[in-house]
Amino acid sequence: MEQRKKVIPESYIPIEASRTLRLEGKDYLLMNDAMYTFYERSMGEFSQFFMALRDEKKILGCRCSACGIVRCPPMLTHCPDCAFAPTEPIEVGQTGKLLSTPPITYFATSMFLDKAPFGRGRVVLEGADTALSIMLYTTTGILTPGIMKKGTEIKVVFQDERTGQISDIFGVPTSELTPEQVQKPGLLTSELNWAAVKEPDLGQATEEAKRVSQGALVELESLLKEMNASKRASKAIENWKRTIAVKTPAVEFGLIIDNGRIWLEKGRPKSSDFVMATEDIRVLLDGLNYKGAITDAIVKRKLWISKNIEFVTIFKLDRLARFLAREKKEGAAKG
Amino acid sequence: MAKKKSFAARKVGIVGASVTPFKGRWVEKTFYDLAQWATRDALKDAGISPAEVDAVAYGIYNDIFERAAIPEHPLQGIIGLPNKPGIRVTNGGATGIYTIASAFAFVASGMYDTALVLGVEKATDCYDFVSRSATPEVIKTIAWSGDSFFEQKIGWTASDSYAEVILAYMDEHPGDLKPEVTAKISSVLSEHVKTNPYAQRQFDQVTPEEVLNSRYIVYPLKEMEICVYSEGAAALILAEEETAKAIAKNTGRPVVWITGVGLSNEWSFAGKGMNHWGRIYSHHVAAQQAYEMAGITDPAKEIQVIELHDAFIQQLEISMAEMGFVPMGRADALIDDGLMLDGGPISVNPSGGLLYCGHAVGASNIMSAWAARNELIDKGKHRALVHGTGSTICQYGGVAILEHED
Repeated sequence: MEQRKKVIPESYIPIEASRTLRLEGKDYLLMNDAMYTFYERSMGEFSQFFMALRDEKKILGCRCSACGIVRCPPMLTHCPDCAFAPTEPIEVGQTGKLLSTPPITYFATSMFLDKAPFGRGRVVLEGADTALSIMLYTTTGILTPGIMKKGTEIKVVFQDERTGQISDIFGVPTSELTPEQVQKPGLLTSELNWAAVKEPDLGQATEEAKRVSQGALVELESLLKEMNASKRASKAIENWKRTIAVKTPAVEFGLIIDNGRIWLEKGRPKSSDFVMATEDIRVLLDGLNYKGAITDAIVKRKLWISKNIEFVTIFKLDRLARFLAREKKEGAAKG
Repeated sequence: MAKKKSFAARKVGIVGASVTPFKGRWVEKTFYDLAQWATRDALKDAGISPAEVDAVAYGIYNDIFERAAIPEHPLQGIIGLPNKPGIRVTNGGATGIYTIASAFAFVASGMYDTALVLGVEKATDCYDFVSRSATPEVIKTIAWSGDSFFEQKIGWTASDSYAEVILAYMDEHPGDLKPEVTAKISSVLSEHVKTNPYAQRQFDQVTPEEVLNSRYIVYPLKEMEICVYSEGAAALILAEEETAKAIAKNTGRPVVWITGVGLSNEWSFAGKGMNHWGRIYSHHVAAQQAYEMAGITDPAKEIQVIELHDAFIQQLEISMAEMGFVPMGRADALIDDGLMLDGGPISVNPSGGLLYCGHAVGASNIMSAWAARNELIDKGKHRALVHGTGSTICQYGGVAILEHED
């Protein structure tokens, strides 16, 4: 029997437990805990809007009977600008233009770690006067700055399985679609041509690249030693465990993270949690040396990772680099 | 714009202030102890006892951070003010400035002669057991503040909502908010914090290059352009004119008068003006109200100290433009023309701001007022502006003008 999805995924929920933390010779009690409330929430006057998304793949706005402004989302049953004249539901289009350049979330909340990176932008749909806030994706891989900006034309896409909430829809640039897809009302995500996750072709290493890589590996090993020696830096990767298969044209190795420690194992690891691929091993080395974030290397497509969700590990590596750099700097300042 | 109005109110001054250290985590203390600590120190600073305090306004932003729905009720007894009026204020990031304004109104109206302003916040008890770190859970807790029908389920965060406004401003003014300028501002603030022993990042001085090299959190915002969440408390003692003068005579610390207050909340969803993006009207409107009340006509010439709510460096720049210190579209003049550099005419965030002192939300703007008061008294400056912002898309704005007559 198919297990229905829970409102709160099981994996988020900690076990009932407590632990003692010792700080400056004194013990403190830390308790696993949660503050939760369940709802059977009425969508009230928005019911029509959300049911139209779920059942008809339509988007509704509301039109003021006095000034004629069409607001989408439909805010509200009466117009706040026309002495609260009544409004009427009206269907709006499924393409529109971005009101402004959308932000891109790389570091998401715990509920959206598996969805990042994503954009969230305001789209003024055809037939509407105000903007609807929706999630934005590209079908071409990781969302990077420049793909969408103010005025970019966006097509609303519907999830195949909908429950009647705003996450039933998202937007992609119409430039990534066929004219038929752009025209089609109620376009489904399964009808899109998502770029398959494909490891980049790194090509062959030159003798020079091999020589440089060997030098970089030596540097990397000594840097990792420093990280392990630093209590502060280790905090960035405490309680974390990952085996990363690092691939470059000249060399392959495993980067192992295990509860506060990090080290390198030569050769391709037998199994790994994810793959990191780059033309130039120095991109990774620079990142760990705190000379340009690894996050940004991925954003700028200088480094590739096989799973978006592993941004969470990348953030930890960036913090590791920062913590070590900060400790060194403070050490130098204190002489 | 608000209608022109008269301000037939009593004079109100700050006669005591305190902050606890702001820290990334206060394992050693609950918010009860932090609140009591700040209260004790503020009363000590004013040389008065709880018996001489008529009322209290609590600034506590987020129930989920404190893990209690009426987090202020246990504090009433703990801070020694039983059977006295207490009001809790919660206005997103602008909680602190709104709390100051509420206590100001208590005293200015003649209802009470003295009032305690008490801000406190926890944050990093929140913990994500999946990524085994606090941050994703802390920002999730804040993310319950997005619109619950249309935004929360599509990944709204405080950062991405402010980034929306910042990017819209950059669409209008593509040459402004240059990365090298935002990096420089962050670096300047990191130097200011050196003299703030209560700050979370007192010894975290950064170069502009390090800021540029820090990672994207939400495009276009980099890690070192974003404030850090903190735990801590801050308090002020406000008093009407005669009481204030008597207290000041006793302590030897001059009264710092609150001569102007302005508050404004913009739309977040409905409203006809909502397609005009790239402005933070609430900061403009709040500042204009405060200037009018304080009789300020040229803020750039008449204000020497600013404690600005720097949730994000880019927003700091836009806020400075909205409040009239630099032209809209030329906010980079803060650095390009040396306005906020050492030796420049305006001291911006001598505390290190929320980026470096830290953002213990309910306490933050109160910490800013504490810092502004110190700067006025200790450096013998005349006038300061304290600013707060909050909610989605910088929707809330508050400004208070502080003056020192000596």
